[in-house]
Amino acid sequence: MTQADIYALTPLILLAGGSVLVLLAGAVKPGRYLYGLSGGLIVAALLYSLLIQRGAVMPGLAVTPFTRFFALFLNSAGLVALLLAAGYNRRRGIIGEEYPATLLFALAGMWTACAATDLLMLFLGLEAFTFGFYILVAIKRESVKGGEAGLKYLLNGTLSAAILAMGMALLYAATGTLKLSGLAVAANHPEPLFLVGGCLALLGLAFKLSLVPAHLWTADVYQGAPAPVTALLSTASKGASLAALLLLLPLFGTWHGLHDLLWILALLSMLAGNFAALLQGNIKRMLAWSSVGQMGYVALALVATQSGGVRAAVYYMVVYSAAGLASFGALSVLSDKYELDTLDHYRGLGYRCPLAGATLAVAMFSLAGIPPAAGFIGKFGVFTAALRGGETALALAGILTALVAVFFYLRVVVMLYMKPAQDVAEVRSIDYYEILALSLPTAATVMLGVYPQPLLDLLTIILNR
Amino acid sequence: MHVLTEYPILTILIFLPLAGCLLLLPVWNCRVSARPIALGVALLELALSVWLYVSRQDLPGVQTKLPGYLLSQDAPWIPSFGIRYTLGLDGISLLMVMLTAFTFCMALLVSWNSIKEKTGLFLTLMLTMEAGIMGVFLALDLALFYLFWEVMLIPMFFMIGIWGHGRKIYSTIKFFLFTMFGSLLMLLAIIFLHLLHAQQTGLATFGLHDLLKTQLPADTQLWLFAAFFLAFAIKFPLFPLHTWLPDAHTDAPTAGSVVLAGLLLKTGSYGLIRFGYPLFPQAAQALTPLFYTLALISIIYASLVAFAQEDMKRLIAYSSIGHMGYVAIGIAAWQPVALSGSILQMASHGVTTGALFCLVGMLDERAHTREIAAFGGLWGNIPKYSFFFLLFSLASLGLPGLNNFVGEFLVLTGTMKKSPLVAALAFVGIVLTLIYTVRLVQEVLFQKERQPLPLADLSLREICILAAFAAVAVWMGIHPAPLLDLVHAPVQLLTGGGL
Repeated sequence: MTQADIYALTPLILLAGGSVLVLLAGAVKPGRYLYGLSGGLIVAALLYSLLIQRGAVMPGLAVTPFTRFFALFLNSAGLVALLLAAGYNRRRGIIGEEYPATLLFALAGMWTACAATDLLMLFLGLEAFTFGFYILVAIKRESVKGGEAGLKYLLNGTLSAAILAMGMALLYAATGTLKLSGLAVAANHPEPLFLVGGCLALLGLAFKLSLVPAHLWTADVYQGAPAPVTALLSTASKGASLAALLLLLPLFGTWHGLHDLLWILALLSMLAGNFAALLQGNIKRMLAWSSVGQMGYVALALVATQSGGVRAAVYYMVVYSAAGLASFGALSVLSDKYELDTLDHYRGLGYRCPLAGATLAVAMFSLAGIPPAAGFIGKFGVFTAALRGGETALALAGILTALVAVFFYLRVVVMLYMKPAQDVAEVRSIDYYEILALSLPTAATVMLGVYPQPLLDLLTIILNR
Repeated sequence: MHVLTEYPILTILIFLPLAGCLLLLPVWNCRVSARPIALGVALLELALSVWLYVSRQDLPGVQTKLPGYLLSQDAPWIPSFGIRYTLGLDGISLLMVMLTAFTFCMALLVSWNSIKEKTGLFLTLMLTMEAGIMGVFLALDLALFYLFWEVMLIPMFFMIGIWGHGRKIYSTIKFFLFTMFGSLLMLLAIIFLHLLHAQQTGLATFGLHDLLKTQLPADTQLWLFAAFFLAFAIKFPLFPLHTWLPDAHTDAPTAGSVVLAGLLLKTGSYGLIRFGYPLFPQAAQALTPLFYTLALISIIYASLVAFAQEDMKRLIAYSSIGHMGYVAIGIAAWQPVALSGSILQMASHGVTTGALFCLVGMLDERAHTREIAAFGGLWGNIPKYSFFFLLFSLASLGLPGLNNFVGEFLVLTGTMKKSPLVAALAFVGIVLTLIYTVRLVQEVLFQKERQPLPLADLSLREICILAAFAAVAVWMGIHPAPLLDLVHAPVQLLTGGGL
């Protein structure tokens, strides 16, 4: 390893080392400055990913434009989640250094997953950030719901990890190599064992992306976890899993079964997610089910990999993440001593708390795919790719479920602006870092909707397609 | 070089109202200073559009690229998707732009006192909607058109939901979902057309004038046209897709009803004229009998239902469906005279129905009811109001010399040449219109007073609004020739007659 390689790995060192540093610092002198320190570390890692040019080579890791893009994307999401958590944790009595330290560790895991060049590193990265979430989901120890969510996530997570590991083992058994490039060569003449391994790995990732039928944990975990954790879990964790999936896609070569598998995953996710979301009265459960549906659109784009679907999928993921951070961010800002659970709690909040209300409304319009919010451009790209790939039936199913989705997203907007408020208790004023945490994803949502070209260009470059 | 061509005037038309929204931000909570700002912006738009109209002869035209267009603008927007920011103004657009600017001035004036809370938000939504509707009438790139088509929905959704009355939430969600249903399928059709064109020519574009050259197999054309037709027919609205309209109209605030009837319905017919028919001529031809049938059912059914209404606003809402039925027939005939009639009828209906909704809104503000059965003998009670009520009712039923007559007459004349039976049946509809309008006028204005209502006559502001409407209605009725000239060239081009 040369000095240049170490420079290139700096973001990882900052995040992973920072995690340890925060833990140690917390032991010596606990305090809220740890959030500031963690925020600084994330920003440093983010800037570093932006600046380094060279591809670092270390066994199993390579810094490519792909890695740098995802590092930028995931660290931004992590930063927003940290800003949200700073206020939320103070109000809810979640104290201690373990929260920021675990968050940094999870981000380090995500970075590793996006930079992996062999199966081992990929697995390590994926499970590292999932491990972080096991802790974060259940971080509020006295919360019953949190404990339940933590246990459910742990059980489902270990199951998915086992499936993923089994799949990777089969891939190794079939080819004798762990290198992704080597495996992609073997994909030209796939044996059954190799394909079974690939499918198992796909199923393992489907858990993390909460694609139907591997989605059952989603609603309970999203509901039970603290809102800032859900914000990160529903966005960055999915973004990193998508990156891992994209790294694994070449393994399937031109095998047509992948298309069929993704086709079914996409259809089921769009149907189940959007229809189940219709029935929810709890806003976090509603957003959880809707995220299942949203992942269906990502899968829909991936069905049409040959016709620009990958770019559409990544763009959609970015746009979805901005909206997800905005909506769960608004939820965490609005929650004071307890979280506002049911939709009824949001009556008239758009006027009493204008910034959080507007953020939530913009996020809803974006998720519903209504212009000028970015969700529209995302859906536009997905459907263009799907139709170009000849998936007319699936695109039709997608557009009709999108119509169903419009209804439940609008219900939130109706609550915010069109129903009289029930209690007139003063809403507490919002801290400046919370304003920042809400404005960043909202601004991104509007920007990406009105002027999407730069990101599209960037994606074309990093995906080489 | 005319001064208008030196500036991106079409972009200004769209973005001036949005700039107005920014001006409103500092005075968000100050009703007194926010209202004049919004009205000022709307008047500026009106002045701009009238200036465009007056100087249309001096505009050099953009014959080379877009034949028949007076002004155009073109810039790349999302090259990765092949979406361009293409705007174009021809006679039809210009008429619609003027109608939009005029209607928004009126809508702002009519809601001057009636919107008492959240005025800043209301005015912002109004201006945003104006921008969206301007965009719909000017966009020549299908993706851009779709964007504006959706953008104009959101403010209306809020407007009905926040300031409406009755079952406002039900109505506004119904309105939104109906429209979205059609437009999402249209979006798929737009993308499909784009991909077909790219396959054939290698050019990835959403530009209308490129897509016009796409070779489409008959069955594909039918499917694509069906998707477009569905989206536009919902907006129109044609029977049986009309059920959102009476609810939305009845529960909307007056300004919302005026904009809804005056402009949003027109976007449906405009879309059909600008995009649906030219893009898919054979499919449109094939579906003409269906279109005729639906339009006739709309006219007759809506007129019969209107006769049975007790709520004045609902009655006018149903009458809108009937009047738009004539627009539909004129488009279905796709013949120069009928099409000119349709376009003129679009503008006329906007003026007449807008005025009628204003009148009902004014009555509602005074009496707090819109039941026909509550009123009677207004003619002796509030004569100025009654005069305008009678005037616009007569205009609505198509009295010669007033605006609606011209459009309906041209539609029927043109259709008579193509399919006499349809024209004859549509004529029956005019008689039905007569019946329900006369009933309305008789019950509200001339019958004996049913209960003593302390009603004040029109204020100066209200007289100004109605006088403006009346002036336009009379002018369009007596001297429609300039407007017919305006739409002559584009109509000839559209119906294949050449210039």
